[in-house]
Amino acid sequence: MRVSRCLQRLQDLRLLRCSWQTARVLQPEPHGPRAARSNPQQHRVVRGFHCSPVFAKDPRLPGRLVGEDDKKRQTSLVAHDDLFEQIAMGAKSKATFAKVIDVFNKRDIRRRGHVEFIYAALRKMPEFGVERDLGVYNRLLDVFPKEVFVPTNFIQRMFNHYPRQQECGVQLLEQMENYGITPNVETKVLLVQIFGEKSHPMRKYQRLMYWFPKFKHLNPFPVPQQLPEDPVDLARFSLTRIANDLDAKVTVHQLPCSDVTESGEEIHRPYILGIQSPGQRELLAKHDPSRPVFVEGPFPLWLRSTCVHYYVLRADPPLPQDQVEEAYDPERSFYFPLQLDFSLDRDVWDEEGFDVEDLDEGPVYAMCMAGRGDQATLGQWISDLQRDNPVLGRVPTLFRLDPGPQHLQGGGDEESEPRHRLHVETEEDQAVLDEEPRRGRGKL
Amino acid sequence: RTKLLTSTTRHRSTAVQLSISVTHMFFFAGGHQTCFSLFFSSQESKSFAVNMFKGQIATSQVFPFPKALNEEQEQFLRELVGPVSKFFEEVNDPAKNDALEKVEDHTMEGLKEMGAFGLQVPGDLGGLGLSNTQYARLVEIVGSHDLGVGITLGAHQSIGFKGILLFGNKAQKEKYLPKLATGENIAAFCLTEPASGSDAASIKTTAVLSPCGQYYTMNGSKIWISNGGLAEIFTVFAKTPVKDPNTGEVKDKITAFIVERSFGGVSHGPPEKKMGIKASNTAEVYFDNVRVPADCVLGEVGGGFKVAMNILNNGRFGMAAALSGTMKGVISKAVDHAANRTQFGNKIHTYGAIQEKVARMAMLHYVTESMAYMISGNMDSGAAEFQIEAAISKIFASEAAWTVTDESIQVMGGMGFMKDCGVERVMRDLRIFRIFEGTNDILRLFVALNGFQNAGNHLKSLQKALKNPIGNAGLLAGEITKRAKRFAGFSSGLTLQGSVHPELAQSGDLTVKAIEEFGAVIEELLVKHGKKIIDEQFVLKRVADCAIDLYAMVVVLSRASRSLSQGAASAQHEKMLCETWCLEAYDRILHDIKFLRSGQSKQTFKNMRAISAAMVENGGVVSPHPLGF
Repeated sequence: MRVSRCLQRLQDLRLLRCSWQTARVLQPEPHGPRAARSNPQQHRVVRGFHCSPVFAKDPRLPGRLVGEDDKKRQTSLVAHDDLFEQIAMGAKSKATFAKVIDVFNKRDIRRRGHVEFIYAALRKMPEFGVERDLGVYNRLLDVFPKEVFVPTNFIQRMFNHYPRQQECGVQLLEQMENYGITPNVETKVLLVQIFGEKSHPMRKYQRLMYWFPKFKHLNPFPVPQQLPEDPVDLARFSLTRIANDLDAKVTVHQLPCSDVTESGEEIHRPYILGIQSPGQRELLAKHDPSRPVFVEGPFPLWLRSTCVHYYVLRADPPLPQDQVEEAYDPERSFYFPLQLDFSLDRDVWDEEGFDVEDLDEGPVYAMCMAGRGDQATLGQWISDLQRDNPVLGRVPTLFRLDPGPQHLQGGGDEESEPRHRLHVETEEDQAVLDEEPRRGRGKL
Repeated sequence: RTKLLTSTTRHRSTAVQLSISVTHMFFFAGGHQTCFSLFFSSQESKSFAVNMFKGQIATSQVFPFPKALNEEQEQFLRELVGPVSKFFEEVNDPAKNDALEKVEDHTMEGLKEMGAFGLQVPGDLGGLGLSNTQYARLVEIVGSHDLGVGITLGAHQSIGFKGILLFGNKAQKEKYLPKLATGENIAAFCLTEPASGSDAASIKTTAVLSPCGQYYTMNGSKIWISNGGLAEIFTVFAKTPVKDPNTGEVKDKITAFIVERSFGGVSHGPPEKKMGIKASNTAEVYFDNVRVPADCVLGEVGGGFKVAMNILNNGRFGMAAALSGTMKGVISKAVDHAANRTQFGNKIHTYGAIQEKVARMAMLHYVTESMAYMISGNMDSGAAEFQIEAAISKIFASEAAWTVTDESIQVMGGMGFMKDCGVERVMRDLRIFRIFEGTNDILRLFVALNGFQNAGNHLKSLQKALKNPIGNAGLLAGEITKRAKRFAGFSSGLTLQGSVHPELAQSGDLTVKAIEEFGAVIEELLVKHGKKIIDEQFVLKRVADCAIDLYAMVVVLSRASRSLSQGAASAQHEKMLCETWCLEAYDRILHDIKFLRSGQSKQTFKNMRAISAAMVENGGVVSPHPLGF
């Protein structure tokens, strides 16, 4: 009820606007705005022009407008791409995008080539930064002429009526879907006006409206649309995202800065951010000092289209003979059992021989992100960690660093900043035994 | 057949439950059979409480109501009851004991002369050699008059030297029991430490074997020891390094020792100031390099846990008996008042508000008394599994006594609040019973978890049987029928007919229905949580509540049935008590079960968790004052 009323109202509004536009385009027309405002009359006019080739050649239409455009118009997308380039003239924004649509709308009453135009617009949207703007999608839908593609008899309804247009509409909705934009009631009204109640785009719209509300907040750990710009903030965000312990503490070991040494050399100090949870600290304190710990990395972490890299401090899993099981002491509680002594199968015939969570990968003691992935930088992280984890002073530390993730940056867009690049001079897969004195030096 | 199974076992919860007559379930941990696992027996349990968790009824221990005394024992008991009652009425002055904060000397002497300090010590060792039932009867008298004296006696013989009775070797018994039985030596049970309430791992008292192997050196301190300032003989639990015979690893394990004050190095602190049971002595006991001869080890070295568990389990029934006496005492005062007090021209007992209170008091007392003698009777007839029942009786009795005393004071109004009336002291004395020897909250966990353990074993054995459905076809058939019936809402064929007196058939049916529902919900919970049920204390508490109510229903059914079949004078009165109790208990059980099954419970528990967390974070109430300051 509500929807239909809303639909009705929107329709009225649109017709009004439509009539204004038409009126402006058809300025020299004898039946001007006044005629257009007389609703049903004008309605029929708009409705008619696509069906009748005769009407299209109506001499009343000024040859000037159509003729000019005809020269330029090509059916290829390139023309429309050019249109975007021309009008935007470098400044690509929502406003210019809207302007392009306006220009197209005004250029031709018949909206000739609107399918190509919409395809081109869809492609151009990310460039203009409007790919997540529902309003823009609705405006784009508005480019379709209304009523024309609505099947009016059963034969039309039975066959794919105006397949190319319907496909284009679906494509538009699909792009919305890909960007996670939920359509609104205006979209619906438009679709009903353009394609009718049971068209393919309408079905697509219904599917979207069925699934999107279900999926919208499904991810309990959503990545924000806008990632922090500052690499330190980004690193902080990424590290807290990886660490599954809310008590884990992020430490800024070093902020990026530039120093000039005595010899006049400029030294750029990269940022180093580390994270460690109390549990990890505890584990590290229990680490057997005779066995080395490893600094490994870089490992990629994708945050939407941005890739950052992190390093871990880890150890090998304890040898089987060293594994001391914290046995449950049945003689612990005087009054009630602390553990029950049966294990039921999940289902009667289930076998549970495999546990996805209990893997022997060895403990991870800390993680960090740094502006540079060379050993000196990471060594500084380790020496800084030593303050909170004295055991590191007695444990040999091995650096097992990969050359770097350059190839990953190839596809990276404008966000491939130097911070993601690792210096090529990092030790290539060679593990250097870094003994205590060396770390001591690193600290100076 | 597999197809049939699949259809009936659509959910895991319908993992078919079988009555397997022999399930060989041994629960050994580290080669030692633990005390908990004593109850996880290797064969089908006879205990009613164990079986009700499986949705089964085992009547052998509850029907008919045990008659534990033979002619001779009964005669002996009759001879004792009179003088003991008289002694407490005429010699002992509870109010004075309370004011003095000690049992008067002449009372102590009198008790010793009567043999009250060695009730269960065998006759040839100088005691009275009473059975558990006889003991319960006498303790009931003590409890009805003076709980302070009751604690003094209980700490002495119910836990103090019970270890020697249960685990002592011949030499130890002969050496210590005669003097303990006469009351020449008083005993105390030393388990609790500042850092160790129910956690055996945090016991700090140590006993180290000397290089020569002749003696142990004991160091440490124990707190809140009843009779700590009076005792000569202590049962002390201390950690000793024990070598594991399998791995050769040296581990600290608990060992029980008999420690005499005369060994030297044993001292005690001043008597503690307490809320109630003031007449009993409670003090800290210190052990400073006490040389304990190796002969004084009670039970095995490293076997102290088992000793402690058994002492505690064996002593609990006495508490229910004593408290049923206490309830009887305060009820008589309240009823006396209700019968004589006139308001608005009527005796107050004619008003419904008072009648309900009196009736509820009577029911609670009836249940407690029945439980106490049911359990002592079971123990006397040699039952090995009474631990769940004993824990239930302790929980029920301590809470019932509290409620009854509270309501008695209410009936008596302002009069009850005055010291002269004597009920105020009882109230104070009673408070500790919900706390000591395992707080009621912890015992609830014990009840629920033991039940779950047994039910879990049962379910596990069914799952094993299902692995080979053809081989166990016969076994499975009955179980499928049972489940199908349960699913369709029919009775699964359990019945108490034949056990319960026909006049109580309705109450019997309610009990059976409640057991069926209870068994089903236990299974659902097991399947839902598995072993992790142990962390669901909100659930466990409610399960324990249901178990307690169920056991209480059966106990009163049994007792009222006996009275009816014997044609006792009070039979019709008991029938009313039984019927009323069963109706109300049934409602409570179903309410709890419904709650556990509903989604509401999850939300409620979540809320409570969050509220508690917020309070802890805030160090108290979180909400601001309604006035804003």
